[in-house]
Amino acid sequence: MRDLIDLWVFTQTWIFETFVGPVIFHFGLMAWYEPAFNAVEFVMLGVVQIAVIAIGMRFFERRWPLERAGKDDRLILVDQIYTVLNKLGVVPLAIFIITYPLVTAIELSVRSWGFAPPRLERVLPWLGDNALASFLLYFVLYDFAAYWLHRAQHAFSWWWALHSLHHSQRRMTVWTDDRNHVVDDLLVTLALVVFAQLVGVQPGEYVVILMVGRLVESWSHANVDMSFGWLGNRLLVGPRFHRLHHALASAEERHIQDHNFAPVFPIWDILFGTAIYDEQNRPTGVDDPVVDADNGRGWVVQQVTVFWRFARALVPKLRRATAL
Amino acid sequence: MNKLAFAVIALALGASGAAQADAVLVLNSEEASYSILSRSSRIELARHPVGREPHHVIVTPDGKEMLIGSTATNELLGLDIKTGERKRIVKDIIDPYHLGFSPDGKWFVTAAYRLDHVDIFHADGYRLAGRIFIDGLPSHMAFDTESKTVFVTLQQSGRLAAFDLQTQTLKWNVAVGNAPAGIIMLPDNKRLLVALTGEDGIVVVDPKDGGVKGTLQTGKGAHNFWPKGDGRHYFLSNRVEGTVSLVDTTDMKVVGNVRVPGGPDCMDITPDGKELWVTQRFLRRVAVIDIEQLKVVASIPVGKSPHGVFMMKSGAVTPAGGPVRAVSTAGGTK
Repeated sequence: MRDLIDLWVFTQTWIFETFVGPVIFHFGLMAWYEPAFNAVEFVMLGVVQIAVIAIGMRFFERRWPLERAGKDDRLILVDQIYTVLNKLGVVPLAIFIITYPLVTAIELSVRSWGFAPPRLERVLPWLGDNALASFLLYFVLYDFAAYWLHRAQHAFSWWWALHSLHHSQRRMTVWTDDRNHVVDDLLVTLALVVFAQLVGVQPGEYVVILMVGRLVESWSHANVDMSFGWLGNRLLVGPRFHRLHHALASAEERHIQDHNFAPVFPIWDILFGTAIYDEQNRPTGVDDPVVDADNGRGWVVQQVTVFWRFARALVPKLRRATAL
Repeated sequence: MNKLAFAVIALALGASGAAQADAVLVLNSEEASYSILSRSSRIELARHPVGREPHHVIVTPDGKEMLIGSTATNELLGLDIKTGERKRIVKDIIDPYHLGFSPDGKWFVTAAYRLDHVDIFHADGYRLAGRIFIDGLPSHMAFDTESKTVFVTLQQSGRLAAFDLQTQTLKWNVAVGNAPAGIIMLPDNKRLLVALTGEDGIVVVDPKDGGVKGTLQTGKGAHNFWPKGDGRHYFLSNRVEGTVSLVDTTDMKVVGNVRVPGGPDCMDITPDGKELWVTQRFLRRVAVIDIEQLKVVASIPVGKSPHGVFMMKSGAVTPAGGPVRAVSTAGGTK
């Protein structure tokens, strides 16, 4: 394990000290020296994730597909672009630049008041001696927050206007997880970062949680006819479970997408009454021609049209609020 | 087999209590933990949780405790300097990024790096005497030998500020160069050395008015100092260059360099004066340098972003006129 860590940090350090650090130093941006080092790790993790998806998960999709290849396969290309832009840090960098001042202002205000959220280890001292248990507990907490954020994405019309882009895909695959509007990504990132700070997730833990969580989520979107078994399907979100959340609504199942929100652990859906399990195959997508029109559009056009969808959903609310 | 051998050594040392006598403490700043290493075996013996974002450690004036500043939980953790046993937590010390006691032991000062203020406490009971807000990321500090003034580098604004300890007021605030970080007062009490992390060397500053009296090129990202122990030579870590320089402060010249990759930062010397231990922030390791040969002889794995390093039982009371045992440093280059 230590050899693996060494290989990882030596590579990260070499990339940073050879290419990134000298540029930071040259332009007098030393306040960004440490964040830039962590950014290198983020990009490296992205490369690993893309490799796992493209080589590992795609193997299962090709071997045991749920939906056979067809004329809609061309719709997958844009999701691959989303994945590359997200995993290699292009979109996260833009989000970081926008959210950093806000997150920092919140953090510093809270700290200047003398309030310091305790880490769980303070409440549960035994966690300090068990790195795996500590990681799992923070992971579960993080997933709990993500579950409720996901419900909010469906509950508020303005947020659904953004999030519906993610659901509009008719050819759901391992690449679909990253298909999100940048404003949607921004809101979720902001909320999760603030939550992580409140419960005391450390930067090192946050990176691992993010990586493992996103890989599980990529897998849960896979076009794979596989099951973890009765118990496994209740411990970890898999493709069958999450595909129900993406199922196209019908007259008989108008609210089927209001189920199976959990990103990683189905326990949240089970506890809060939103879990459904069955083996029936259903098409995916959104039963709304306006949203369905996202299919066939490229990355830029999707971003622009969905932003206007979001603005139209948001502005009437603002007008009503002003009238009050 | 190696793992088994290490485990046996660790158990034997731990059981005998020799672990502490031989121990080195390292703060893993991005992992909210500290590592205890064996100096002789050069292995990590244990890793314990500590608050959040621990960066620096200092010895109390009575020489009995190590105080770790847990910056994001606004507290100090006190450990017994001989046994490493947890003694107490001092609460309501806001953002204690860098910390130090005045040479007379009466004042305790913290630099709140993220929150832009310098706090001056009565060391007896850690009672806040004054808080001075100042822009520019206050990062490192040094005291004059008379315990009248504390000097604090402001890493973002490129300035150095001096504060009167008795009145807790600003005496002067002057520009010294790009991203000043580590700072020491030389034993003559007439020269301050300031490392410029945004440049490639150090400046010599007059403690009376902050006037820059000289410069010395050492390496890119000059960051922090540690005394060799003879009152004349000081080690200086160059974070961007990836080196540690040995500086002769009498002739003001570099008399040696050693390559230490991975963003070398804080340092400490073994009690026998033969080895310099340096945290390698990026590599998650601590390098051991043979001082006579100026050569890295070992590199020991620890936690993420190791920052402060401290030889347990080596501390003792801060000598008047000597460098504050604000072991370590960090900066924007935290």
